[in-house]
Amino acid sequence: MHIDRKEALRYMGYRGQKMDGSLQSLLDTCIDEVMDISKESFIYEIFDIERREEGLCLKGTTLILQGEDIRRHLSKAGKCAVMAVTLGLEADKRISFYSRTDLTKGLIFDACATAAAEALCDIVQEEIEAKAKVMGLKTTKRYSPGYGDFSIDIQKEIARVLKTYEKIGLAVNECSIMIPRKSVTAVIGMQTEGCSTKSHECGSCKDKDCMFRKDGNDDE
Amino acid sequence: MMMNKSFKADGFLLFDGGMGTMLQAVGLSMGELPESCNIKNPDMILNIHKAYIAAGADVITTNTFGANRHKLKDSGCSVDEVIRNGVRIAKEAAGDKLVAHDIGPIGQLMEPYGTLSFQDAYDTFKEQVIAGASAGADLILIETMSDIYEAKAAILAAKENSNLPVICTMTFQEDGRTLTGSDPMTMVNIISNLGVDALGVNCSLGPEDIIPLLARILEYSPVPVIVQPNAGLPTLIDGKTVFDIGPEIFGQYMADMAAMGAVILGGCCGTTPEHIKAIRKAISGLKPVRPEVKKVTAVSSATTTVVLGEEVKIIGERINPTGKKKLKEALINNDMDYLLREAVAQRDAGAHILDVNVGLPEIDEKAIMVKAVKELQSIVNLPLQLDSVRPEVVEAAARVCSGRPIINSVNGEVKIMEAIFPIAKKYGCLVVALTLDEKGIPEKAEDRLKIAGRIVRKAEEYGIDREAIIVDCLVLTASAQQKEVKETIKAVALIKEKLGLKTTLGVSNVSFGLPDRELLNRTFLAMALTAGLDAPILNPMAEAMVKTVKAYNVLWNIDREARDYIRSCSLSGDRPVVKEKEGSRDLKKIIIDGMKEEAAPMVRQLLTELDGMKIVDGYLIPALDIVGQKYESGEIFLPQLIQAAETVKKAFEAIKENMLQNAGEISRAYKGKIVIATVKGDIHDIGKNIVRILLENYGFEVYDLGRDVQIERVVEKVREEKAALVGLSALMTTTVKSMEETIKALRQHCPDCKVVVGGAVLNEDYARMIGADYYARDAREAVQIARKFYRCE
Repeated sequence: MHIDRKEALRYMGYRGQKMDGSLQSLLDTCIDEVMDISKESFIYEIFDIERREEGLCLKGTTLILQGEDIRRHLSKAGKCAVMAVTLGLEADKRISFYSRTDLTKGLIFDACATAAAEALCDIVQEEIEAKAKVMGLKTTKRYSPGYGDFSIDIQKEIARVLKTYEKIGLAVNECSIMIPRKSVTAVIGMQTEGCSTKSHECGSCKDKDCMFRKDGNDDE
Repeated sequence: MMMNKSFKADGFLLFDGGMGTMLQAVGLSMGELPESCNIKNPDMILNIHKAYIAAGADVITTNTFGANRHKLKDSGCSVDEVIRNGVRIAKEAAGDKLVAHDIGPIGQLMEPYGTLSFQDAYDTFKEQVIAGASAGADLILIETMSDIYEAKAAILAAKENSNLPVICTMTFQEDGRTLTGSDPMTMVNIISNLGVDALGVNCSLGPEDIIPLLARILEYSPVPVIVQPNAGLPTLIDGKTVFDIGPEIFGQYMADMAAMGAVILGGCCGTTPEHIKAIRKAISGLKPVRPEVKKVTAVSSATTTVVLGEEVKIIGERINPTGKKKLKEALINNDMDYLLREAVAQRDAGAHILDVNVGLPEIDEKAIMVKAVKELQSIVNLPLQLDSVRPEVVEAAARVCSGRPIINSVNGEVKIMEAIFPIAKKYGCLVVALTLDEKGIPEKAEDRLKIAGRIVRKAEEYGIDREAIIVDCLVLTASAQQKEVKETIKAVALIKEKLGLKTTLGVSNVSFGLPDRELLNRTFLAMALTAGLDAPILNPMAEAMVKTVKAYNVLWNIDREARDYIRSCSLSGDRPVVKEKEGSRDLKKIIIDGMKEEAAPMVRQLLTELDGMKIVDGYLIPALDIVGQKYESGEIFLPQLIQAAETVKKAFEAIKENMLQNAGEISRAYKGKIVIATVKGDIHDIGKNIVRILLENYGFEVYDLGRDVQIERVVEKVREEKAALVGLSALMTTTVKSMEETIKALRQHCPDCKVVVGGAVLNEDYARMIGADYYARDAREAVQIARKFYRCE
């Protein structure tokens, strides 16, 4: 796993400001520390999609994916992979400690851990893409609960189906928040046709004022 | 107890194998609750039980692994009916075999990681235990635990709400630790002392990987050991999960484990009646082995075990308000961050165990102690020593402690032993025994030995092992009782020799009232160590003391080849030299550049000529405004803003410290009270912490209630402080609901206060919809709202 410095900076709302040496080195320290303490684990399963009125049912499971956006995302997919990744509890522990004793470090550490979780997703996605290829299929980009109208409440069900707590120690609380916090769930469609990669890129999001928005000016 | 009868028999006790695996084989969907079959398809469950009995199991496990209120919440089934049916079906199959009421993990992470509180976990398990016991289960199997804290809640629930024997197993990961970081020895040290009838390991990886874990457990477990491995590792073949170890090989592994000393055997994921049959066959010629168990005096946090007697262990004494003005203030203000910093500093300076004393007449000691224990164990992985003279405080702390703590202390007074020993027994704590009684501290070492002997005998009456007693022979001050100082040293040696107990001493008392205290302290420490002192209580920040311990470890041939000593000497040589401050540096510039370390010295310098308030108004606030503008214009980004804010905080602290000396003045510095919290269910608090520091920077008195804060708690605090402004944070759409409920409750109970809200998913309209008065887009805006509200500008 490799943490992209630029990505980490983007999560801190970085827009090319001048940074002094100590901030630079704090960032490097945090990147190293996140790499060091993360216990990356992941799990995914591939399911057939059955289109029903109530949503996209994943065969052999209790999962029903609901919402216009996920339906559109998987409109050409016959199968999909449901994945969950986590960096483990130590990252949470450190973020909570630093954010109380050294908030600057807490903030930077948090952003680095977010970038790490995304990097881990990329690795898992590659593995899924490779699997799809063997099956003669192409994949869509990953789509996570919370994007568009794909409700984060589905995370409870994803956790149940993938047994994320038992297998990778990932729990979802009553409010559908994942713990450990640096965790991601996502759905990747598998289909015969290639797909547009544009549909859910950062730039297509409705929130134009988002501080994390990629706008091409994020060079260091 | 039935279980004991089985243990005493010369045979093994054979459990059944996997249930989930069997259910999936007959078509249970992924995500479906296996426990619902107890109601929907009882015959299927009955047949599985029967198959295991036919395979030779002595105990069958009910299909109730996940039958808790959290997992069943949306299922339409009640905990009671699922468990009642589960036990009934098992009993129907069991005949003369035993029925184990199966209790698995709740499936939620507990505090401090998650939002499940210890009490909630306890109540959840209690409900299960009562249902299982009243339905007639023969014993309770708490299994596949991955968090020792949750295991503790379950064991307490089982023991407090039933008379059934309790077995507890945990599951370990590749690194040999549980999910939340407990190693096998730590697990044994905590769980066996909670009074379980058997303990062990299940699930985890394949049987081969379990063998080293089992070996470690057998080394220390005073109770029978159970092992229930998976049938190897799962692989996906044609969309089906298949485990790679067949019955015969599995049986062989189990026979090997039986030969090591495991007496209760069974299977977990992927095991079938065939696997159980294979175990029965493989162990048919074997007899149970009871391996030699090491008796140690060991104290544990959830993740670390410290054994006394091997080498000198330092107990850090600094979390104790006696004579510490700042800590006192922090405790009164409920400021746990200060406490945590003290804890971390002691750890980094070499402490192995932390003494925790929060006794102050002006605070609710019990509530603060519980909070302190929870906070400390969430951040520092050192074991704790719970230090209070009040039994109810000790008990509350021992209950929520996730490790095996030491209680500080009992003495030879019967009344005190009768109050403390039941607590120590129930929660499996170690106890510091002071060698004094109603008549005070005996002059002579021999008399102190007598008291220690009496304490041990009394402890044994309560079923507490002598290894759990750590004797403190009490240090007297050389200035007042010079001739008795050496009696303490003699007493340490005597107690080691005659009673074989571990010892502790609060070393620094010796020098009270004399000059160059450090010299006396470290000399006395060296003398006591030579006499056999195992765990001095001292200030680890006093370098000379820690160095004396290190030197002793070399001279007493404990630190072989002086490795640790040489390393620590070279480390202290590397310490960076603090640069001389340039006198001309401007405080404003220091803040704008975020030079955290330079703020306090500069403020102290300014305070020689200027009043604290003048520094606030003339330097801090203008600098903050500049930083704020830079942030808004995009010249700096968030970490830089925060760096500046932290610098202001340091400056502020230096000013406050100065004002503390002139009491009364401090209130003048505050511009208004604000209560802030991340709402119930939500655990994101970086944003809230940023708001807090900026508000503090601008002179507001901020009461930060933390994250996942119950609605009542917010209301209570706002009332208590008569705060006119409340800040609430929520990051998820799902927790905005809690925010709305919190606002509603505030409207009802504190109609005069105003509410400002913030968080990623909120906007102006949304904020209005849930009834907030103000919406702050970011922390800067929160400050502007507060300043306007309190008419600071």
